[in-house]
Amino acid sequence: MTPTRIVVWLMVAAMLATASFAAEPLRVGMELSYPPFETTDPQGRPAGVSVKLAEALGAHLGRQVVIENIAFDGLIPALKAGNVDCVISSMTATPERARSIAFSEPYLKTGLALLIAEASPVLSAADLDIPGRVVAVKQGTTGQQWAVASLTKAQLLVLDTEAAAVLEVLQGRADAFIYDSMSVFKNHRRHPRQTRAALAPFREESWAVGLRQGNDELRRQVNEFLESFRADGGFEKLGDEFLAEQKRYFREHAIPFYF
Amino acid sequence: MNLVIHDLVQRFDDPRSGRSTTVLDGLSLATGEVQSLVLVGPSGGGKSTLLRILAGLDVPVTGSVTFEGVALPRDEELLRGYRRGVGTVFQAYNLFPHLTAMDNLLLPLVHVHGLTDTEARRRVAEPLERFGLTAHAHKRPAELSGGQKQRIAILRALVVQPRRLFLDEPTSALDPEMTGEVLDMIDDLKRSGTEFVLVTHEMGFARRVADEIAFIADGRVAAHAPAAEFLDRCRDPRVTSFLARTLHA
Amino acid sequence: MPRWLAYLIVLALLSAAGVWAFASLDMNWNWGVVWDYRAAFWQGWWMTVLLSLASLLTSSLIGVTAAMMLRSSMPLVQAAARVYVELIRGTPLLVQLLIGWYVVAAALRMGTDQRYLVGVLVLSLFSGAYMAEIFRGGLDAIPRAQIDSARAIGLTPWQTLGLVVLPQAVRIVLPSVAGQLVSLIKDSSLLSVISIAEFTFNARNVNSATYSTLESYLPLAVGYLALTLPLSALSRWLERRFRYEAA
Repeated sequence: MTPTRIVVWLMVAAMLATASFAAEPLRVGMELSYPPFETTDPQGRPAGVSVKLAEALGAHLGRQVVIENIAFDGLIPALKAGNVDCVISSMTATPERARSIAFSEPYLKTGLALLIAEASPVLSAADLDIPGRVVAVKQGTTGQQWAVASLTKAQLLVLDTEAAAVLEVLQGRADAFIYDSMSVFKNHRRHPRQTRAALAPFREESWAVGLRQGNDELRRQVNEFLESFRADGGFEKLGDEFLAEQKRYFREHAIPFYF
Repeated sequence: MNLVIHDLVQRFDDPRSGRSTTVLDGLSLATGEVQSLVLVGPSGGGKSTLLRILAGLDVPVTGSVTFEGVALPRDEELLRGYRRGVGTVFQAYNLFPHLTAMDNLLLPLVHVHGLTDTEARRRVAEPLERFGLTAHAHKRPAELSGGQKQRIAILRALVVQPRRLFLDEPTSALDPEMTGEVLDMIDDLKRSGTEFVLVTHEMGFARRVADEIAFIADGRVAAHAPAAEFLDRCRDPRVTSFLARTLHA
Repeated sequence: MPRWLAYLIVLALLSAAGVWAFASLDMNWNWGVVWDYRAAFWQGWWMTVLLSLASLLTSSLIGVTAAMMLRSSMPLVQAAARVYVELIRGTPLLVQLLIGWYVVAAALRMGTDQRYLVGVLVLSLFSGAYMAEIFRGGLDAIPRAQIDSARAIGLTPWQTLGLVVLPQAVRIVLPSVAGQLVSLIKDSSLLSVISIAEFTFNARNVNSATYSTLESYLPLAVGYLALTLPLSALSRWLERRFRYEAA
C-alpha cells in the first residue's frame, strides 16, 4: 500500500461518506403483487398507485426513492429491523399493528369484502361462521386477523398469495376469500361465472403509511405530504389513472371508495 | 464320477455393443471313472466358463453334459435341484458378509435342505473341529483371513453332503502362505474320497490330487490324460510351453 | 483438545455472534408470544412429525419399487422409472406441490378435505425419487458373485432376495435413508404453501398475528433441530455399526 494508494482510498471513502450524508434514499417497502396498487410492469420494474405515491413523497422530501419488494407478512418485521424507512403497501392501520409500528394519517378508505364461490350458499359475512364452511385468507392481512378473531366454527385456509386464495375459491375448495373490496371486484370481473362478489364492506378499513415507532420526524413529513398531495388533486389523478372502472362501479353501487 | 461332455458351445453377448464372444467352441471330453478331474490352461481359455456349466450355474448354447449317464437339465428349476446336490466354491466372495461363519454354514442346511437348527449345528461341529475352524465360527467374514474364508466356503459346500464339488481357482486370490492351508484341505478331500472338479494354476498341486487333467485353451480341450502322463509325457506344444511357464512360477 | 471442548467453543462463539447481531437490531423483544401461542407451536410440531413419518413410509415403498424397476430388463418398466426419477429430482418440491394441488388434484376434483392426503402424496413422490436412487445404489453394491454364491447353494430367487440381498442392501442404505428422513422433515415445511397446518405454517400465523418475527421463527428452528439432530446422530451411529469390509 503505497502512500499514493492510501490517499486515493481515503478520498474515495470521503466521497462515499458525503454522498451518503446528502440525500439519503428513502427506502419504501411494499409487496409487488397487488395490482393496481403495487405491481410490476412488463419489464419487471415496480409500478402502480403506491409506487407513484412513493415517488411523489420522495420528490416532496427531496430524497431518491428505492422500492423494496417484500412479502406482505414480512413488511412490518422489515420496518422494525430498519431495512426500510416506511411501508406503502395498501396496509390497513389496525390497533394490533399499531402496537408494533406507527401509522401516518389514513390515505384511502376501503373495507373487507368477500369473493364467493359460485356454488357456495354463502351470501354475506354473516353466513361464514358455520361448521363446514371453508374461508380463505391471505397470510398477514386484516382479512386473516378478522377471520382468526371472528370465525370459530368455519375452517380457515391461510394462503401465501392472493392468486392461491382465488384459486381455492375457483376450484370450489373454499366458500369465500376475504380481501379488500377493490381486489374482490377485480377478481370477480376476471372470473364472472365462477364467482360472486359481496362488495359492500362488512368491516371498513383505512390504509395508511407504515413507519417505525419513534420516527416522529418522518411521520410529520409524510402527513404533511399526504395533506398537500390531496389538496393538489394528486389522489384524484391516481384514481382516474389506475382505478377508473372501480371508481365508476363503486359510485354507482354506493360502495365506499375514496382517497 | 464319469463325465461326458459333447460339443459344448457357450457364447456371451455384450448388451451394450451387441457383440457376441464365443468362449467354448464345441468342447468335448470323456473321462474315465475318476475321483478328481483338474482343468488347467491359459487365462481366458474357457476353464471357468466350463466349470460354471458343469456346476449347473450357466446353461450352454448347445451341447450336452452327462454325469454317470445322467444329462444336466437346461431348465432353471431343474438345474436348481441339481445345484442343491452339488457344491461350488468360487475364487472369492463365497461367504455372505452380513452373517457369521457359522450362520453361513447353517444357511444352506436349514433353508435349502430343511434341517432344524439343532441338527444343522450338530452336523457342522465335527468338520469345523477337524479343520481347526471352530474358534473362528462366530466371526464375520470381514474378521477372517482369506484362507479361513475359503476353507469355510469349502466346508459350507461339503456339509450338505454333495455328490461332488466344483472348485474354481480357490487359491488364486490368496497369499502363498494361505494357499497352503486351502490346498491341504483339498488334499484331505482327495484322501477321503470326495469327488471334485478343480480349476487351478497350481500345477504342482494338480499333480498331487488329480486323477485326470484336461488342458483347456481357445474354448476346446487341447489335451487330456491321466495326471502323471499329462505332466511328464505330453507332447502338445501349447501344453509344454504352458507347463514350462507355470511350473517355473 | 478434547472433542467436547471444541464443540463448546464453537457453539459459544456462534451464540455470541448471534446475540451481538440481535442486540444491535434494537427491536423491542416480545418473547411472551412463544408462551402465549405454545399450543400452536406444539400442535404444529406434532403435525410435522406425523406428516414426515407418513411420507417416510410411503416414499420408502415407492423408492423400493422404483429401484427394482430401474434395474429391470424390461425396457418399458425401466423407462417409466427413469422418467419418474428424473422428473421429480429435476423440479423443485414447491413447484410439484403447487402443480399437484392446484392442477392435478383439482382436475381429479379432490376437495379441501383431501389437502393433507395430497400433501403427503406429493412429499412421498418427491422423496421416493431420491429413495429410489439410494436403494438402487444399495442393490448395485452387492457383488454379482454374491448372487452366484446364493445360486450355487441352491437358494430360490426369493430366498436370495430375502436372505442375501435385502439384509446386505438394508445395511448399506440405512445411513442414507436416515439422511433422507432428515431432508424429509425439513422439506415438509413447504407443505405450508397449500395451507397444511404443520410447524412452519403455524409459526407464520403466530408471526402474522403478533409481528414478532424472530420470536416466532427461532422456536421454529429449535423445533426442527430437535427432530433432525438426533436423526443425524442416529445415522452416523448406524454407519459405524454396519460398516464391514466385503468378504
